[in-house]
Amino acid sequence: MTRARLPLYAFLILLFLGFLAPLLWALSGSFKPRGDIFAYPPKLLPSPFTLDNYRTLLTDQPFGRWFLMSTVVAVVATAVSVFVCALAGYGFAKFRFAGKNLLFGVMFSSLSIPFAVILVPLFVMLVKTGLGSPWFALIVPWVAPAFGIFMMQQYIVQSVPDSVLEAARIDGASEFGIFRRIVLPLLRPSLGALAVWTFLQSYNSFLWPLVLVSDSSQYTLPLGLQTLFVSEQRQYDLVLAGAVLAVLPAVALFVVLRKQLLEGLSTGAVKG
Amino acid sequence: MSTTTTAGPHRARSSWAPYLFISPFYLLYVLFMLVPIAVSLWLSLTEWVGLGTPHWVGLRNYRLLATDISFHRALGNTAVFVLVAVCVVVPLALLIAQALNTRGLRVRDLWRTAYFVPVVVSPILVALIFGLVFDRQFGLANSVLRALFGTGGVDWLGDPGWARVSIALVMLWRWTGYLTVFFLAGLQNVPRELYEAAALDGAGRLRTFTTVTLPALKPVTAFVVVTSFIGAAQIFEEPYLLTGGGPAESTLSVTMFIYRAAFQRQQFGYAAAAAVVLFVLVFGLSQLVNRLLGIGRATS
Repeated sequence: MTRARLPLYAFLILLFLGFLAPLLWALSGSFKPRGDIFAYPPKLLPSPFTLDNYRTLLTDQPFGRWFLMSTVVAVVATAVSVFVCALAGYGFAKFRFAGKNLLFGVMFSSLSIPFAVILVPLFVMLVKTGLGSPWFALIVPWVAPAFGIFMMQQYIVQSVPDSVLEAARIDGASEFGIFRRIVLPLLRPSLGALAVWTFLQSYNSFLWPLVLVSDSSQYTLPLGLQTLFVSEQRQYDLVLAGAVLAVLPAVALFVVLRKQLLEGLSTGAVKG
Repeated sequence: MSTTTTAGPHRARSSWAPYLFISPFYLLYVLFMLVPIAVSLWLSLTEWVGLGTPHWVGLRNYRLLATDISFHRALGNTAVFVLVAVCVVVPLALLIAQALNTRGLRVRDLWRTAYFVPVVVSPILVALIFGLVFDRQFGLANSVLRALFGTGGVDWLGDPGWARVSIALVMLWRWTGYLTVFFLAGLQNVPRELYEAAALDGAGRLRTFTTVTLPALKPVTAFVVVTSFIGAAQIFEEPYLLTGGGPAESTLSVTMFIYRAAFQRQQFGYAAAAAVVLFVLVFGLSQLVNRLLGIGRATS
C-alpha cells in the first residue's frame, strides 16, 4: 500500500464501520440480559453473555411458524416470478411484433406506479372476492415485477445469440421448446440473481403483510416480530434475538450469491 | 433490436409466440395494477368506512385534502426525504463507487459486500438497530458524541428537526450500498482509453471526472436518480417503525398518511384520494424525467 492510498483506505474502513457497526451492535445486544441492552457506558461485548433471549423466544413464541410462513411464501413467489420474468424478458428481447414499443413502455412505466396507490383497492378487492388468504395475496399479485422483466430482457439481448435460436428453429423446435431447452439454460446466472433479489424482497416485505394478514397464526416473520415488539412494551431483548435470527438466512444467502446478484442487478441499468 | 422473426418461412409460425411469452405479465398487470388503480380513482370520489356501500361525494375528498394540514405536512416531509435521496444518497453512492473503482484496490469484494449488507436486512431489524442507536439516554449515537465532544444530549427521535435527520441517516445507511452497485458497474464500463486520453491531455482529477466520467455515467445516473426518487417518494417503513410519523407529524410520509387514513381511521375514500395525488405526482414526474433522459426504451 503506497502512502498516497492511505486516505482512500481510511475512507473505505470508516464506511465499513459505519455500515456494519450498527448490525454488530444489534448482534451483541441480542446476547445481553434485558437490563444491559441499554447501559451507560455501553458495553461493546455482552458481559454477562446470555442465550436467554434466544431460549425464551424459541420456547415462548411461534418463531418457527413465522419463519416457515415467510420462507415458503418467498420461495413460491420466487420460483413463479423468475419464470414469468424470463418468459416476458425473452418475448421482448428476441421478437419483433406489432405494438412492441407500446407494450414495453407500459411494462416499464409500471415501475413508477407507487405501491400506495394500489394498497387500499387491492386489499378491498382481494378481501371482497375471498382471495385474501395469505397464500394467494402475499404471492400472486407480486410474481411479475417489471424490474425483473427489464433485467431479463437486457440480459437476454446481451447473452443469447440469435444464431442459436435460428438453428433450433430450422431443426423444427417449437417456440416454447426453444425457450425451455436453449434460452433458460443460457440464462442461469441472471436467473440466480433475480431469484435472490425476489426472495429477499418477499422475505423482507412489511407493508403489504401488515395490511393483509390479520390472523396471528399466519404471521410472517417481520409481522410476528413487530407485534411482539409492540406487545412487550417495546422491550428489546426478545425481539432483538428474533430479528437477528430472521436476518441471518437473508445475509447468508446474499453473501454466498453476492457475485451473481450484484452483477445481475446492474445489467440493465448500465446500458440504459 | 432483434431480427429473429424476419427469417422467411418461420415468420408466420412465430408471430403469436411473443404475445404468449409476455401474456402472463399483462394478465397480472391488468388484474393487480390497472384494475386497482381504476378502483382507487372511483373510491377517491366516495366516502366509505369499509362496510356497506361507498357513498358518492364527488370531489369532496380532494377539497378536504387541499386544506388538510396533516396531508400538507406529509407532502412536505416526503419531499424532504426525496431531496435527501436524490441530493445526498445518490452523490455519496457515486463517491463510494468512484473509490471502489480505483485501479489495484485491495479486497474490493469485501468493501462492496459490506456496504450492501444493510439492503438485505429486514426492516424490523433496521428499526430495532436505530432504536438502540438513537435512544436519547442510552443510545450509541449520544454515547459516541459524549465520548468525543463531552456533550451528547441530542433528542434524535423526540425533536421534530432531529427526527427528520434520523430518518435521513437511516435512509443513507440502508440505500447507499444499493445505489453504489449501479454506479460501480457503470464506472467499470467506461473505456480505459478515455482516461488515458484525458491523462495525455494533462487533465487533472476533477477535470477527468467532469469531462470523462460523468458523461459516460449518464444512463446509470438517470436510472439511479429515477429509482431513488420513486423509492423515497413512497417511504413508509423507516418512519412507521422508528418514529411512528412523529413527533407532531414531523416524519409523517404520504404513504403513512394513506395507511393511517385507510387502516386506522377507516376513511377509505379519503385514503384513495391521497393515493391518487401521490400517483399523479410520482408517475407524472418520473415519466417526465424518463422522457428527458431517454431511459426505458425497448432498444438494445
